[in-house]
Amino acid sequence: MTDQTDRKNPAKRQRRKAPRWRRRLARNPLAIIGISIIALFLMVVLFAPFIAPYSPQTQDLRTTYLPPGTGVSLRGPEGQAGIWVSPAQRSPTRGVEVNDSVAYPVKLFQRGPSYSWLFGLIKSDLHLFGVDGPVKYYLLGTDEQGRDIFSRLVHGAWISLFIGLISVGIGLGIGAPVGAISAFMGGWVDMTVQRVVDTLLAFPGILLAIVLVATFGTGLTNLMIAVGIAAIPIYARIIRGSVLSIRNREFVEAAGALGRRRMGTLFKHVIPNALAPLIVQSSLQMAIAILFAAGLGFLGLGAKPPQPEWGLMLARGREYLAVAPHVATFPGVAIILVVLGFNLLGDALRDALDPRK
Amino acid sequence: MIQYTLRRLLVALPSLLGVLIIVFLMVRLAPGDPAQLLAGEFADAATVERIRERFGLNDSMPVQFQRFITGVAQGDLGRSTRTSRPVTVELREFFPNTVELALASILFALVVGVALGIISALKSNTWVDALAMILALIGVSMPTFWFGLLAIRFFAVETPIFPVAGRGTFAHLVLPAITLGLSSTGIIARMTRSALLEVLGQDYVRTARAKGGTPRMIVLKHALRNALVPVLTVGGLEFGSLLAGAVITETVFTWPGVGRMLVTSVLSRDYPVVQGTVLLIAVSFIVVNLLVDLIYGLIDPRIRYD
Repeated sequence: MTDQTDRKNPAKRQRRKAPRWRRRLARNPLAIIGISIIALFLMVVLFAPFIAPYSPQTQDLRTTYLPPGTGVSLRGPEGQAGIWVSPAQRSPTRGVEVNDSVAYPVKLFQRGPSYSWLFGLIKSDLHLFGVDGPVKYYLLGTDEQGRDIFSRLVHGAWISLFIGLISVGIGLGIGAPVGAISAFMGGWVDMTVQRVVDTLLAFPGILLAIVLVATFGTGLTNLMIAVGIAAIPIYARIIRGSVLSIRNREFVEAAGALGRRRMGTLFKHVIPNALAPLIVQSSLQMAIAILFAAGLGFLGLGAKPPQPEWGLMLARGREYLAVAPHVATFPGVAIILVVLGFNLLGDALRDALDPRK
Repeated sequence: MIQYTLRRLLVALPSLLGVLIIVFLMVRLAPGDPAQLLAGEFADAATVERIRERFGLNDSMPVQFQRFITGVAQGDLGRSTRTSRPVTVELREFFPNTVELALASILFALVVGVALGIISALKSNTWVDALAMILALIGVSMPTFWFGLLAIRFFAVETPIFPVAGRGTFAHLVLPAITLGLSSTGIIARMTRSALLEVLGQDYVRTARAKGGTPRMIVLKHALRNALVPVLTVGGLEFGSLLAGAVITETVFTWPGVGRMLVTSVLSRDYPVVQGTVLLIAVSFIVVNLLVDLIYGLIDPRIRYD
């Protein structure tokens, strides 16, 4: 009876409790932190040209290595509150010089350099913040070519997201089906596939990606593919374990008895029940892929200058560690935050989806 | 035990063969003439021809592969196109440095990781536990190169306690070892905590507690011994990964190991050295995993009878 009323009254049906794993996730403060970091990261990627006040490539050789806060004061010329910026530039002989006689206010929703957004669909010059005047506000300082580090970080975020998504996509799209079929078929198919997986797993961590990049050449596209291929054996191994444990359960037998073909049974009944560990792995894999890509970028085997890839930015900053430590610091902070976000979510998902708890 | 050992060895063989195939294919699949790749960018036509002749690059793939395997078995991996020295000589010179670094790192990771894990398990579900586990997670999420740079900045440049780069004394080893071992420390700490919590719920621990053992004695004498079995396995596997992880750490600290050698040779397209280093790291990883499996079977007899 209750079922029927539920079906007739969608509002009531919606009030039914959320699935248990989601309730567990919502109760876990670490999960909330992880999800918030990831949400913020996605916003940055989506609204990059709006959030970043300047273009990632605009150079200014008069303002190289300005540390954050150069020429910035929290009081205006007449004592007004707010953030005020005075012109600053680096002189070859006297270091950084700030012209204190003038100051311009930093304002929210300020017009600035124009940009096109969403593949040219939207053209605008509105930015989240900017200076109302002929100076620039470098929130996180500038790099060796006088480029705004904050703008570069914001514009480079999509690279990390893409690398993570492609890696998870290749893992889920190739590794998981191959591993599932291998485990479900058993016999020589399983034997062969597992030996291939063993071989790929014999290249620990970042090594497989380096091998692929060394073979097919450096660059961002190859890097993405390399990090993706490195995910294949991990996914194949994980799903194999779950499929093996599910393969002989009664509902699978029932599907066979009802005349479903083997592959149909696999994709319709077995794989959906083996997804939990893959979901957990996908969150952790995002973290791993971002770390690998940044590592390869740092080694000079990934993105090429002037791409604002975080690992590459860090590598450039390494050369100026003694004079301008901020150049290497902020890309590192960005990487660790995003990686931590995905690791926190992955951990929380593992706890939430664990049927033993 | 002998049967178990043999079975593990047999499973490792296909991986070994697979690694050889991949390393062999690296040069053949790379865009460009393999002879030119092996001879180096600036080699003259005569040298390229000599290389083509020597490696039989006009022969069919199976014949080439057979020759490649024979060469590897005889310790002939070709010559570096940069230094013209035999690859095996270079590897023999630099590999011990990488092993030294990896050993120091795993030692650091085991000591700190196990300690953190024990503290966490003993104070489970308190703020101490939360703090220790967040620290462990940050360790796992930290880009090694960034931590290395920070370490150099604070402990070598601003307060010069340790040298900035290079190898030699114990002081040279400290920062690279901590940098490389950081992620393993996090993994080992998390592993120790969960293993210890599982063991602490067992009957024999309850017995020990009923007999009046202090919590400290119970953990150190009864629980830890059993909890350490999986921890040691993870430690062994981590040691294998550290050999590869050294690629980045060695570059940051200009540590003269095979990891840095791999990066410079990839960047200068020194293919014989790339092949040799990749082969060495992958084979070491297989061997370390094999040893870990065998030791696991030795300390936990349940494993052997599956």
